[in-house]
Amino acid sequence: MASLGKGTRIPIRVIKKIIEESFPKLKKGGYSVTSPAEIEYNCIAWAAGITDRWWWPDALNLYFWPSGVPRTETIEAFIRAFETLDFTLCQDAEYESGFEKIAIYVDSKEKPTHAARQVTSGLWTSKLGEFVDIEHPIDGLDSSEYGLIAIIMKRPQPSPA
Amino acid sequence: MSYAVLTESRIGRAQAINAMSARALLEQDRGLGKASKVIHSGFRETINHFFVPVSRQEADPSIKFLMLKDKWKAETVLLSSITEIAMHPAYQQIIGMGLTAVPLILAEMEREPGHWFWALKSITGTDPTLPEDKGHMRRMTESWLRWGREHGYLLE
Repeated sequence: MASLGKGTRIPIRVIKKIIEESFPKLKKGGYSVTSPAEIEYNCIAWAAGITDRWWWPDALNLYFWPSGVPRTETIEAFIRAFETLDFTLCQDAEYESGFEKIAIYVDSKEKPTHAARQVTSGLWTSKLGEFVDIEHPIDGLDSSEYGLIAIIMKRPQPSPA
Repeated sequence: MSYAVLTESRIGRAQAINAMSARALLEQDRGLGKASKVIHSGFRETINHFFVPVSRQEADPSIKFLMLKDKWKAETVLLSSITEIAMHPAYQQIIGMGLTAVPLILAEMEREPGHWFWALKSITGTDPTLPEDKGHMRRMTESWLRWGREHGYLLE
């Protein structure tokens, strides 16, 4: 897998191969790469609409995590983190006009690994670690890397800034 | 040829072969699973050990650091979990290098931002970043580089 360097320009063909190697379902379902690689933010921040911080409840208290939410890698803590942004639990991942939905993925030990946000087309947008952003079908990232979707949440669509 | 130049040339050859094997892997027109990643990772380590044996890696901490950093970066690029990123065996070996690793990490951070904060805090027992900068990669990096200069780990 190619590592990323400052200002590194990776050919799109190579980017896609790296992605499809870890997420084989994307190759069948289709997806598009929507940004260059960027280390400033991760999938949790991106799902929350933030692009200048890396969100994670790490034990060393190094990275951003919403104030008052337990710094634990549990689905409950991640739900509470998104609740600080007015998201509430919901039943399905169908697109609903006027609402923004997010999906939280967990691994086989039920530890959160990833989050994705739905866009108005009904597809989902994901930041892949410190790599690129992609738009993809809901089940495109089901994999040994990220696990499966455990939780869907929604909030009224924020007004454009 | 000096020892340093010879070693640099050997690392270059190992990296070139690894890049070729990565390209060959990427050229394959089929989905690749975890098993092929393991095989590729093993191949990369074999090549690295052939050109830069463990004895030489141990003798020169900068070589050991480079080898571990490349492996860690390649295998964690898609991860969001800082815990998973920091618990990677190569990252843990860098932490195990102790204070020797600090100038190498800071020089790497000067080159490009990376998730080195966990290692630096674990090794030095300090954290010069401001509470309001948590998760802000550039500001955290700047704080650590300033700390490195103040404590003689980086040249002014």
